[in-house]
Amino acid sequence: MSKPEAATDAGMYVSREKIHPREVKGPFQTLRNLAVVVLLGIFYGLPWLQWDGRQAVLFDLPVRQFHIFGLTFWPQDFLYLALLLIIAALTLFFFTALAGRLWCGYACPQTVWTEAFIWMERWTEGNRQQRLKLDKSPWTRQKLLRRGSKHALWVAFALYTGFTFVGYFTPITQLAGNVLTLNLGFWEAFWLLFYGFATWGNAGFLREQVCIYMCPYARFQSAMFDRNSLIISYDTQRGEPRGGRSRNVDHRERGLGDCIDCNLCVQACPTGIDIRQGLQYECIACAACIDACNGVMDKMNYPRGLIRYSTENAMEGKPARVLRPRVLIYGTLLLALIAGVLFSLTQRMPLAVEVLADRNVVYREVDWNTIENVYTVRILNKDRVAHSYVLTVEGLPGITVHTHSERIRVGAGDTDTAVVRVQVPRDAVSGPGNPFRLIMQSEDNPDIRTVNTARFNGPRG
Amino acid sequence: MTKAQLLRNLGGTLWPSFLTAAVASVVFFASIDPESLHMQTLPDWQISRMAGYTIGFFMFWGVGLASSLITLVLVSGGPRESQ
Repeated sequence: MSKPEAATDAGMYVSREKIHPREVKGPFQTLRNLAVVVLLGIFYGLPWLQWDGRQAVLFDLPVRQFHIFGLTFWPQDFLYLALLLIIAALTLFFFTALAGRLWCGYACPQTVWTEAFIWMERWTEGNRQQRLKLDKSPWTRQKLLRRGSKHALWVAFALYTGFTFVGYFTPITQLAGNVLTLNLGFWEAFWLLFYGFATWGNAGFLREQVCIYMCPYARFQSAMFDRNSLIISYDTQRGEPRGGRSRNVDHRERGLGDCIDCNLCVQACPTGIDIRQGLQYECIACAACIDACNGVMDKMNYPRGLIRYSTENAMEGKPARVLRPRVLIYGTLLLALIAGVLFSLTQRMPLAVEVLADRNVVYREVDWNTIENVYTVRILNKDRVAHSYVLTVEGLPGITVHTHSERIRVGAGDTDTAVVRVQVPRDAVSGPGNPFRLIMQSEDNPDIRTVNTARFNGPRG
Repeated sequence: MTKAQLLRNLGGTLWPSFLTAAVASVVFFASIDPESLHMQTLPDWQISRMAGYTIGFFMFWGVGLASSLITLVLVSGGPRESQ
């Protein structure tokens, strides 16, 4: 099957063989494992965290409120979401310019979950050699058992991942109860299975193909690179010509470079490339080849760093610069944005008011001298305590406001609507669209105050 | 089309449309409440907010997928470029 395929589509669509990355040990792999544990720990742990008697992070879609550690966000706070996305993108740009594909190697969910799935593969099917052998072996009881337990682990982990994902949108303790009593709502079940399935497929089967064929970032990250960005590179000058040798010979005398051509760097690579062929866009900068090579260099008593984090400039012997315009610009923008968001969060007005004019009646004549417009005012108390609000109006001569009750009391995190009648003497307005201001102020705290501009419609005169 | 190509094409169309659909849903539903949309369009339809979000997401995904698939056809078919 695979032969003619490779022949017709040389290069681009070579049929894929499953990559079994070799387990390597070293400082970078320790760091990566740590990143996996920490990031997955945050993902799985966060929904269980309580804050003021409420789930600390809950995106409550049914009531359209986001709770994040005591802060409550409403759809009206969309600006923060937009800013957050911009900050996330800038952070990615900044770190890419500075340190290359740090994101891909250490923090991308695809990498992190793939790593976790490979751990499970290792526990059940053994190390690289054993896995390669198992792939080729016929279906014995042993293979069935190992494969079966791997898939059981994967499915269980994926389902729990889906459950946790839904737990960010439905209170997780309640969700756990629903799962245990088999009482899950349709949409909850749907998203649990959907996210679980995506995790299982992406981390169990697609793996590096996601990075190579599906990831947009992998394709455009080079735009954020320059000659001073950190990349993983093989020191060709030092390594070549490569070749096997005994540990006792002086390889320089034999005209050999430091690379002993052991292929460990290729075996360790989760995307199956050979770093010695130079920088390739498949490289997710996981640094597995660095750790693998350093281990070999230690055994050979050669200096470490034949494969190392470096920059294009450094490889060519030019001075490497960390602070460059690109980095400074990204960094300054990032800092300014973060500071701005933090500042505005502290200044956030815990009250939002929407004013809607009555569309059915343009204006009403109360008596010979008075024109009335009716508005619906929606009050959103974003504070964590209840407030009583008083409404006043200004901006037109003789303008008065009449509400059902003098004070409008709204509970914490609640909304209320009030029908508001605004009256103006007939000679003070002419025609439609006279602007005036509605001022909503909290009785107990005058700092909580909003001003809305509305339009008053009078008869044409 | 070989199986490998098919898989790759599926990945290359399903995935970008998924990503854009996720962003589009967030932006869209942050400013528009499915409940009010529902009241203004099909008030007789019994449908919850969650259902609204889900339908919206899959609609965006579908539209994105259609666009990606058309792009794929246009880019891969057509007259061969002379080399």
